[in-house]
Amino acid sequence: MEQYDYSDIKPLPILTDQQDELCRIMYTEDYKQLMGLARALISVNELSARALQLTAQVIDVAPAFYTIWNYRFNITRHMMTESDDTVSYLNKELDWLDEVTLNNPKNYQIWSYRQSLLKLHPSPSFKRELPILKLMIDDDSKNYHVWSYRKWCCLFFNNFQHELAYTSKLIELDIYNNSAWTHRMFYWVNFKDVASEVELADELQYTMDKIQLVPQNISSWTYFRGFQELFHNKIQRESEVVQFATSFIASVLSLPIDLPQDLPEIESSYALEFLANHWSADPRTQDSAVKAYSLLAIKYDPIRKNLWHHKINKLN
Amino acid sequence: MCHVTNDLRKAVAKKHKKFFERHLQLLPSSHQGHDVNRMAIIFYSIVGLSIFDVDVPKKYGNNISWMRKHYIKKMLNDTNNTVISGFVGSLVMDIPNATTINLANTLFALLSMIMLKDYEYFETILDRESLLRFVSRCQLPASGSFVSCLDYNKNSASLVDSDDLRFCYIAVAILYICGCRSKKDFDRYIDTEKLLGYIMSQQCCSGAFGTHNEPHAGYTSCALSTLALLSSLEKLPDKFREDTLTWLLHRQVSSRGCMKFENDLNATYDQTDDGGFQGRENKFADTCYAFWCLNSLQLLTKDWKALCQTELTTNYLLDRTQKTLTGGFSKNDEEDADLYHSCLGSAALALIEGGFNGELCIPQEAFNEFCRCVIIRAP
Repeated sequence: MEQYDYSDIKPLPILTDQQDELCRIMYTEDYKQLMGLARALISVNELSARALQLTAQVIDVAPAFYTIWNYRFNITRHMMTESDDTVSYLNKELDWLDEVTLNNPKNYQIWSYRQSLLKLHPSPSFKRELPILKLMIDDDSKNYHVWSYRKWCCLFFNNFQHELAYTSKLIELDIYNNSAWTHRMFYWVNFKDVASEVELADELQYTMDKIQLVPQNISSWTYFRGFQELFHNKIQRESEVVQFATSFIASVLSLPIDLPQDLPEIESSYALEFLANHWSADPRTQDSAVKAYSLLAIKYDPIRKNLWHHKINKLN
Repeated sequence: MCHVTNDLRKAVAKKHKKFFERHLQLLPSSHQGHDVNRMAIIFYSIVGLSIFDVDVPKKYGNNISWMRKHYIKKMLNDTNNTVISGFVGSLVMDIPNATTINLANTLFALLSMIMLKDYEYFETILDRESLLRFVSRCQLPASGSFVSCLDYNKNSASLVDSDDLRFCYIAVAILYICGCRSKKDFDRYIDTEKLLGYIMSQQCCSGAFGTHNEPHAGYTSCALSTLALLSSLEKLPDKFREDTLTWLLHRQVSSRGCMKFENDLNATYDQTDDGGFQGRENKFADTCYAFWCLNSLQLLTKDWKALCQTELTTNYLLDRTQKTLTGGFSKNDEEDADLYHSCLGSAALALIEGGFNGELCIPQEAFNEFCRCVIIRAP
């Protein structure tokens, strides 16, 4: 790290030990000095290399301090125009940000700062973002901020080419990864108008294979239902889909429900819920829907029995 | 007020009070990183103490003048000599010639002042027009969403901050506290139509709200609370409302029926989470989502208690994440208690008990009394 001289700056010291203070923090000497200096530099809005260096130190101890990110951005924007190579200057800043990101996975200012840098960049690249995105997802495969950022990148670069393969890989690793499933849905929502019938058929088959593998999984069933709703004009495979869902419920619909303890185990409450929802839409099958909801209430998903009764009441 | 205690629980309640009191006292240097959000620490502690029946105006009345110092008014260097105002989290962040006031700290401070009954602040010190001018400047004209702060130098919405449903909620809650009720009131300061458009754009296919179609209980609570404060919940389409209700009720983790099949297969399923709430599909239950989910449910329907099993949630919170030794609540059964989860765990219990204002996350009585005593004229 380069050494800069700050000795000409008169610090703006922070107030400590005030009367009737709440949540008094025992500041370290380092913190007091650092903040005293940062306050002085922000106050005169010094846009310099040494100021940039100082912001890194402040971000290290107080990553949630929004003004310091704002200050760093203004310095970067100024320095970039003074440098002979804007692109490499901004790439260097992104490299620094990668380091900070890896050390602060839960901080969310990082991602909006990154977006601001990419908007500033004359030739931003999705490819450059892929490694950091991969590292962060490897570290926490359901990190909401990282997934949001990935989606922002897809839209910003208008590039979705990696997304299906990427989510397939993550679903392979953990079939319950709801972020991966919803990201897949995000892909289709954006490709709604151009998806071909072959692609849609393949995707439906992919989903059914995953459900077959683990039938009691809310993520794959929600995706299955959402996908069909999204493409209800293009997919007409109703009887096949109903037959598929029925294969997980062991013919319970034909059994009497007065003795819940005699009912057999079924493989998936979500299959039963899927069918109940499907049958609710048509008056001719509403009796089956009522029965399916009743079975959920008494045996297969009893914690939500009041919800299932609410669904039955809506039908009557 | 809210009674989450019975005789048997009195001893634990005492520990909770001590836990919250501790956070208002001296904090170790490891908290330096939270300096910027100190109003949040104060708010969480005071909410917790209020829920456990501590007379906070009496106990912390002396601290009011120190609190007021965090209310910063700035005259901008423009031709109109525009004034804006708001709160900083800590005086360390109050920097000459720089705008550092922040939406979240402003809401946390205003709600804390309400619970501390510092009505004099609202009547004689608060400059409502300049405060709401600050809120107005945080709105993004293109999307209608909000960021949490202004560029420290240019005083327009920060280009570096994130914008999402949390800041939309905070902006609207501040306007509400300052007396806005009708659409006309809100329209004086913000573009309400644009904001509503933004909120609606965050609806997910499967119900609930989230960024780019991944539903999340926290964002859902923010969206529904914002709509409630704007008296606009009826703008939600019927199907989406029903899907959201279903989605929220599915967040209650269960060990019964078919759910037990996940036991050995799903790495983020734990059958002892039974009764608790998760924030998203296939995640462990977490104390704070009991509040975010139950608050969302109570906003969607008056019958919310008849729809979910709140007694199981109470058991989950009391038996699993409450810390009987140290006081406070933890995120799950593995971690130590922390302030955020202690506040929201207590708030969830208070919501179930009744008498708690979920949209503002303070005891209802504290807000009622504020409305009775402080006359904030319609804008």
